[in-house]
Amino acid sequence: MGPDTLHSPMNNPMTPRDPLLLKPAQSLVGQVVNLRRVGNPPAEAGKTPPSAGDQPARRTSSCPTSSCPTSSCPTSSLRRHGSLAASIAAAFLALPAFAQIDLTGEWAPAYHEDAPERLPGPELGDYMGIPLNAAARLRADSYDADRISVVNEYQCRPHSSDYGMRGLGNLRVWREINPKNQEVVAFHTYMPAWGSERTIWMDNRPHPPDYAEHTFQGFSTGVWEGNMLTITTTHLKANYYRRNGVASSDKRTVTEHWTRHGDFLTVIVVENDPVMLTEPWVRSENWYLDPGQKLSSFQCEYQPEVPAPVGTVPHHLPGTNPFLTEVADWYGLPREATRGGAETMYPEFRKKMSKPAVEPPAHCERFCVCTTLVDCQLHGR
Amino acid sequence: MRTTPWSRLQPATEASASVRMCLQICLVMLLQAPAFAQPPGPPQPPRSPRAAAPVDLTGYWVSVVSEDWRWRMVTPLKGDFAGVPVNAAARKVGESWNPAQDEAAGEQCKSYGAPAIMRVPGRVHITWQDDSTLKLETDSGQQTRLLDFNGASKEIQAIPSWQGFSTANWERPPNGVEVPDNFPVFSTRTGTRGRSLEVVTTHLRPGYLRKNGVPYSAQTILNEYFDYHKESNGDEWFTVTTIVKDPVYLTGPYITSTDFKKERDGSKWDPTPCTAR
Repeated sequence: MGPDTLHSPMNNPMTPRDPLLLKPAQSLVGQVVNLRRVGNPPAEAGKTPPSAGDQPARRTSSCPTSSCPTSSCPTSSLRRHGSLAASIAAAFLALPAFAQIDLTGEWAPAYHEDAPERLPGPELGDYMGIPLNAAARLRADSYDADRISVVNEYQCRPHSSDYGMRGLGNLRVWREINPKNQEVVAFHTYMPAWGSERTIWMDNRPHPPDYAEHTFQGFSTGVWEGNMLTITTTHLKANYYRRNGVASSDKRTVTEHWTRHGDFLTVIVVENDPVMLTEPWVRSENWYLDPGQKLSSFQCEYQPEVPAPVGTVPHHLPGTNPFLTEVADWYGLPREATRGGAETMYPEFRKKMSKPAVEPPAHCERFCVCTTLVDCQLHGR
Repeated sequence: MRTTPWSRLQPATEASASVRMCLQICLVMLLQAPAFAQPPGPPQPPRSPRAAAPVDLTGYWVSVVSEDWRWRMVTPLKGDFAGVPVNAAARKVGESWNPAQDEAAGEQCKSYGAPAIMRVPGRVHITWQDDSTLKLETDSGQQTRLLDFNGASKEIQAIPSWQGFSTANWERPPNGVEVPDNFPVFSTRTGTRGRSLEVVTTHLRPGYLRKNGVPYSAQTILNEYFDYHKESNGDEWFTVTTIVKDPVYLTGPYITSTDFKKERDGSKWDPTPCTAR
């Protein structure tokens, strides 16, 4: 058994390229968050948007012999060494061909975990699986989904780099090479959702001081640990962990571990947020290689959707949000479990949690076959 | 992406380019030169999988349920297939799920088979049974998986079971060549050192991917990759990427990844039998 055997399309009964394979999610253009309470999905949802075409290659161009300054081009530098260079080249030809894990390419997300949360959007009051603290919970409880429709600033608020990996996550990865020494300077990523571009520096540069600018993508550096790329991201703007009001702070640090196994990519994301979380929050997401994937560009325009006086911010005062128990009752869950917190994430919690407050439905009624965006929208309820 | 002044910083790598090239030349020539000074030694026996382990996965680990909470910590509602790429046949089976019937048939462990067991909340205890077999026990459902590093060379005559027959190996780099990360060729070689545990499981007894009767068939092939990671606070984790391929009930691979945190000891080990509800 070896990698070739495992991943060969000839030997696997199904491969990611099988026509029956999970369909890549359709990209949404201009769609705002939490579709369930802000109205129906836009008409173009579920249809493939006009493609912006492949982006131009971002890799720094290799050094052309004819135009490269003699002082900086490795090709010219080799030439200066004359016949020695030829000897070296011959020596390299005798060495085995080494390969490294290649993270670059087009990756389509598998929404096989928490699909209804990640595709159509989470239910209100669903904090399950999040080690949030009391302050974060109180803030989330104040959330009103109409906020997106009324407060323009929320409509085109980008996904931060950590949330983006969890949300609509079609992904392109490419690397930037320094032509002078052929070192990898950085990996770059692009995700169509909110047109998010990100840089992961690989050249050991330091993180900026704390007072430096924070952005939605943050400042990322990466190092290899064996076959695992470990990325540290700081300088993130406040954003959200879940699109139902569970907020993330700008004090968080995110660690990621990227590993590739055959045509599958797994990204482990560790959130350290001293403001919102009581312990590090570890999750992992999966992609499969999809070389034919075409990513869209992203347009988002502010558009008042619900008339309201200027300055209105829809919200619920503490103890007044009537929607917080819906998720527990719809799915037959203990209400305290939906409130989240670290204690609820460990197996022993099952022994102490209460029974559902209302009789659970006899059959699933919401998002029962939600696995791709199309499935979720066709069979939402 | 907005660039910051920090993104314009350049590392001091170019200044030493010529020095590095000289070193590389010398090293390459040395690598190509025959070793005259030392007589050839006796051939070394290959290291056992246990001795060759690039990471230590032994110990007690707890699954921290940060994902799929409502499909894992409680029994999902009948007919809830969300997230699983099931076909019509699977939906038909799932819609006829009857836990009482499973109990009567003595099949309470149908949702504890290898394709599902790592998603079951609980603890796992990993030990070396011998130098080439990792043993993975679960307290939930009291299951035992044997991950056999010599499995590929064995003629399999296993009877289908909940845990099936698992062949293991330490995952190799893409072309099977181990190279130090800092091998001094023109550019630094990175990401070449395999350190994942790769497991392939077959000979499975049909069971459930989820407790509410989402089925998998006897034709299922299970691929798993165990990746170890240590966090800045000292916590040790492994994440297992689970790829279930079932031509009978799935429209494509079903991919999940489950995160386990290492515990100091087995004081929270809590063996409980399988339950169908």
